[in-house]
Amino acid sequence: MEIKKIIYLSMLLAITVILSIFESFIPLFNGIIPGLKIGLANIIIVYSLYIYGFKDTLFLSLLKVLLVGILRTGLFSIGFFISLSGSCFSIIMMYIVKKTKLSIIGVSIIGAIFHSIGQVVMAIILLKSFNLIYYLPYLFIFSIFTGIIIGSISKELIKKIPKYCN
Amino acid sequence: MQEKINKVIWIIVLLLILSFIGLFIYNKNKKEEYTAKFFYMDTYIYVKLYDINKETADKYIKEIENIYKKYHELTDRYNAYDNVKNIYYIKNNDSEEEYIKIDKELYDIIEYGTYYYEKTNGLVDISMGNIIDVWKKYRDNKNGIPTKEELEKANNIVKIELKNGTIKNNHPNIDLGSISKGYTTKIVGEYLKKNNINKFLINAGGNVLVGDKKQNKEYTIGIEDPNNKNDIFKIVKGDNIAVVTSGGYERYYEYEGKKYHHIINPKTLYPSNNMKSVTVITSDSALGDILSTYLFLLDIDEGKEYINNLDNVEAIWYTNDNKEIKSNGFDKYEYKTK
Amino acid sequence: MNIKLNKNDILLIIVLLIISIICIFILNKNDKKNKVATVYYNNELIKTIDLNIDKTYEIEGYNGIVKIKVKNQKIKVLEEKSPLHLCSKSGYISKSYETIVCLPNKIVIEIEGNDLDTVVK
Repeated sequence: MEIKKIIYLSMLLAITVILSIFESFIPLFNGIIPGLKIGLANIIIVYSLYIYGFKDTLFLSLLKVLLVGILRTGLFSIGFFISLSGSCFSIIMMYIVKKTKLSIIGVSIIGAIFHSIGQVVMAIILLKSFNLIYYLPYLFIFSIFTGIIIGSISKELIKKIPKYCN
Repeated sequence: MQEKINKVIWIIVLLLILSFIGLFIYNKNKKEEYTAKFFYMDTYIYVKLYDINKETADKYIKEIENIYKKYHELTDRYNAYDNVKNIYYIKNNDSEEEYIKIDKELYDIIEYGTYYYEKTNGLVDISMGNIIDVWKKYRDNKNGIPTKEELEKANNIVKIELKNGTIKNNHPNIDLGSISKGYTTKIVGEYLKKNNINKFLINAGGNVLVGDKKQNKEYTIGIEDPNNKNDIFKIVKGDNIAVVTSGGYERYYEYEGKKYHHIINPKTLYPSNNMKSVTVITSDSALGDILSTYLFLLDIDEGKEYINNLDNVEAIWYTNDNKEIKSNGFDKYEYKTK
Repeated sequence: MNIKLNKNDILLIIVLLIISIICIFILNKNDKKNKVATVYYNNELIKTIDLNIDKTYEIEGYNGIVKIKVKNQKIKVLEEKSPLHLCSKSGYISKSYETIVCLPNKIVIEIEGNDLDTVVK
């Protein structure tokens, strides 16, 4: 791998980690639906998926989960596995639908939706509480909007800073 | 077309951001109720704080737990703790000193107990650890009951003597089981009120203490039916009251078809069977705990007369033949379901 | 910044919205009398149990496994390791003010609801 690319990817990693941690300090909907987040860190993930491709992004995302785990949620805690599962689902699905005719916004919506699905599935497995499935449709609606926001921001990012990246 | 979609989406995004900010502020200042559960003093302690934000609740719940933990260690009869002079330490102290110095907290609770020993004509007795031990041995093994001789032999009770923060080193076998939960709950209640946490509910193993009304509503407290643990026979309502029940139906063992519970009459040295349960309502949870034990050992008529002569104390008895008997002013606390 | 959705994106959003709304509808219909019991270890919520499903659960207590059984919207402790087995003897509970307390195992089972603030016993 080019040194330049490594540097850019590590910078992206640093930004996602900071965004995740920053977001974890904002308990937006804590009282209503636990774990609801805009997913600011996903801006970088979507951006990276379009600029660097699937493999690097998956790697980036896994490192992010690991680092946030160490710094915030606790390594190998329940929260860690939930976010690991969410991230994996999200990236794999985005990679698949990226090949269709959906725009980056559509891809980002799919990413947000499957992020929720991944999290809820893991939470159901770990907490052994099937009731969590009741959150899912509400998370879907929420994900549509966060997906649009994140997709649009990523799109702008790609427009504004593609040239430094290759 | 595209422009219209754009406009609509931007409005939605704007609304979303505004609602995020609103929700964030709302969540930050939202006052909710927080509950905590601890296991100390051989019982289950349930604490609920109302109209409080998370940060403050966490802080005070930690403090409350520390208070229960502290009194749990001080009143523990069977274990020694590092740097804690508890009643185990008092009993097993082999130093030569005539009086040993003890913590103020422990001194105060023992003094409180000895004061009510006089007040209850010796029926609430914190110095009868020997007798409790004999019964505990039989209860743990679940075989047989102690004979009169065995109990009387154990009944060579050492008198507790307190003096200026010290206790006489004559190895008294103290048992604070009948007062520690109510007493500690009172301390916790005072602590919360002093720090302006006024809306709370504490249930420490049959000792309930509630603070000011929450959302202008009085607290509702059910009293368990001694015959059917899945049911309640009475609901009490109020604020700033302590509700304490004594009954033989929670902790007992059976031998030859008879039930032997844990509330021992110091006069007869046997479990008292004057009633199935008695519940006391008063403003002071320590007093409530003592009175509920006292009333449980007294004959119902005697107890009723005693309570009717006291101000601000009410009680309800559940008799052996499953009737309710209420003190004169009990009705004002009774919650009537529509 | 310009949000540009193409036809496929809009189609996706519409499909997802419809799915979500149908899901909410279906789940809520099933959810009519959703009686839930909560299980705590020490002060920590470790499990929520749907009382509509008859099932046996195993939970890690202080002394080992605590077996919990749900039947006909009632819940009880089936087996546990403790000296007196008080909590497995206490039988089924189903009302919101009832609790099962396993002192030696530091397990508390509550039923959600708010009929009463607390119960003395």
